[in-house]
Amino acid sequence: MTDDDGPAIDPDEYEDVWVFVEEHDGDVMPVSWELLAEAKALAETTGDDLVALTIGEDLDDVAEEAIARGADRVLVADDPVFEPYRADPYGEQFRAMVEDRKPSIVLIGGTHTGRDFAGRVAVPAHAGLTADVTEIDVDDEGVLQARRPAFGGDILATILCEEHRPQMATIRPGVFEAAEPDPDRIDSDAGEIVDVEVVVDEDDAVSEVLEREVGETADITEADRIVAVGHGVEGDLGPARELAEAIDAELAASRAAVDEGWIDGARQVGQTGKTVRPELYVAVGISGAIQHVEGMNKSDTVVAINDDPNAPIFDHADYGIVGDLFEVCPALVERLETEPIGEVVQ
Amino acid sequence: MTWTIVVGIKQVPDADEVGIDPDTGRLDRASAPAVMNGPDRHALEAALTIRDAAGGEVIAMTMGPPNATSILEDAVAMGCDDAVLISDRAFAGSDTWPTSLTLARAAEELGADVVVAGEETTDSSTGQVPPGIAAHNGWAQLTYAEAVDPRPEEGRLVARRDVEGGYELVAAELPVVVAVAFGEFDPRPAPLHRKIYGENDFEPTVWDAEDLGIKDEVGLDVSPTSVGRMETVDPVERKSEVVDDVDDLAAAITEVRA
Ligand SMILES: Cc1cc2nc3c(=O)[nH]c(=O)nc-3n(C[C@H](O)[C@H](O)[C@H](O)COP(=O)(O)OP(=O)(O)OC[C@H]3O[C@@H](n4cnc5c(N)ncnc54)[C@H](O)[C@@H]3O)c2cc1C
Repeated sequence: MTDDDGPAIDPDEYEDVWVFVEEHDGDVMPVSWELLAEAKALAETTGDDLVALTIGEDLDDVAEEAIARGADRVLVADDPVFEPYRADPYGEQFRAMVEDRKPSIVLIGGTHTGRDFAGRVAVPAHAGLTADVTEIDVDDEGVLQARRPAFGGDILATILCEEHRPQMATIRPGVFEAAEPDPDRIDSDAGEIVDVEVVVDEDDAVSEVLEREVGETADITEADRIVAVGHGVEGDLGPARELAEAIDAELAASRAAVDEGWIDGARQVGQTGKTVRPELYVAVGISGAIQHVEGMNKSDTVVAINDDPNAPIFDHADYGIVGDLFEVCPALVERLETEPIGEVVQ
Repeated sequence: MTWTIVVGIKQVPDADEVGIDPDTGRLDRASAPAVMNGPDRHALEAALTIRDAAGGEVIAMTMGPPNATSILEDAVAMGCDDAVLISDRAFAGSDTWPTSLTLARAAEELGADVVVAGEETTDSSTGQVPPGIAAHNGWAQLTYAEAVDPRPEEGRLVARRDVEGGYELVAAELPVVVAVAFGEFDPRPAPLHRKIYGENDFEPTVWDAEDLGIKDEVGLDVSPTSVGRMETVDPVERKSEVVDDVDDLAAAITEVRA
């Protein structure tokens, strides 16, 4: 064995469950709170502390909220070098914290940011990193059971990391439920905020953010009803938007519609987007590729509007209609307006 | 100075053809034809775009079995100048840690200024290998790149990155690993004469783990993760009722919570 094989580690030296709290300009990505709630259960099982970790600038509010939402401790790396996000300073800081404090489990939201830097921690630490997990559990020995769908969700693979630490996972947004903040936890000093040493220097950075533009990010994971548009809408969101208004639904999209620039990426449903679980999911001009279905198959009722009778989406829908969406949507809106959904569903 | 652009591609089972063995409940990858990972075609296009702007050469690399040569031939047909097959039984069982180490060493060996890769593969969909290459070599990285703007005069590459809810322009010093967002680069068609060259005359360079000096650092033993259980998930039961007119659909919608 050479040194690069990684240190022979003693798992007992590693403790605590860490959750990365991702913030940009003071806004926390909802997945961070989802993970914190889910990790609480893991920490209770293993008897570990639940530790939130946040990197950025001016993080006092974020740290307090992490405590209110259940963290026993918050590690804060606060420095202008971290704003806006860059993979190299973030990864280096996170890696140093992991090396110093030896967490057993580290959970990171499967956002573009999380998936961007997780490897920069896991590689030098020789940690196990499982991508895009949708279920987590821990056994008696503290071994994380990280489950992720393979091939469109037909298979659920459990990935283990038995001989290396930490056990890291990026976790898909929308699969867990966040806990409400409990202000009593702050008043009663239930958690501790720890400022950690910043080990990153601007001079060492190998990247520079020249421009950044981010609007309000929609959170489709909380929606009760969703109208999702696909490539079939051909850039005209009008009919789907009217349908969404008629049934009080959020607008979402397939990746093809997002790639065309018709709709914002925060509204993408699927393997590389969000997992949604509304009562009603209406797929408009979406073919039903496995990567899409994976993000919506937890919906209670699925309705498909598509002009191709052989589109796979019909196999994943409760009700479907074969027709031109530009005719079906307006007709549906008209019909629904004479019989408002709000009254019937009460 | 012109750039050496290395593009990582992977052979995967055709996602549309992978079945599940009814006896074992396991994926039956063997029956699916082997094809180039879809997102890698977009990576190839990005690599060629960078060469068009910055000058230099594009070398495709793949880690895989000997028959993965066929995707290298495709890459050469599309316009890559050269290609490397990294193949060794020692790689068997490698998770993303040794895989990205292998590709990182190969990129170093090739003198890469820029490494381009697809966003993720359709067979394992981790998206971890490109950042892993950057991490192993201590290089800069740009993931979810939807446009690239090479600036040889600055010795940097600027990419427009998709960030949820918006975008950012990030400049990275060379060497840099760029993971290209799927769907953003329209792959150019391969001209007929390149196809003929790729299939008939082209031979890739072949390296094994020894050549890269990593014989003891790859494979199952050094992989931090392992696959435990594989469970088949019952598909979600759907009514699959196709209605003929809009009235029936409206009724279905209004009844959702009734
Ligand atoms: C690594 C990777 C990750 C991916 N991740 C995701 C993901 O997270 N989410 C996702 O959605 N996809 C994802 N994809 C892409 C996925 O494979 C499909 O390409 C995509 O979902 C297709 O989108 P679509 O159904 O809108 O478009 P298409 O497949 O083009 O389908 C359009 C549909 O609209 C119908 N149509 C056209 N015109 C009309 C009309 N006038 N009226 C009614 N119907 C009409 C057509 O019949 C067709 O069925 C991923 C792919 C890869 C390789």
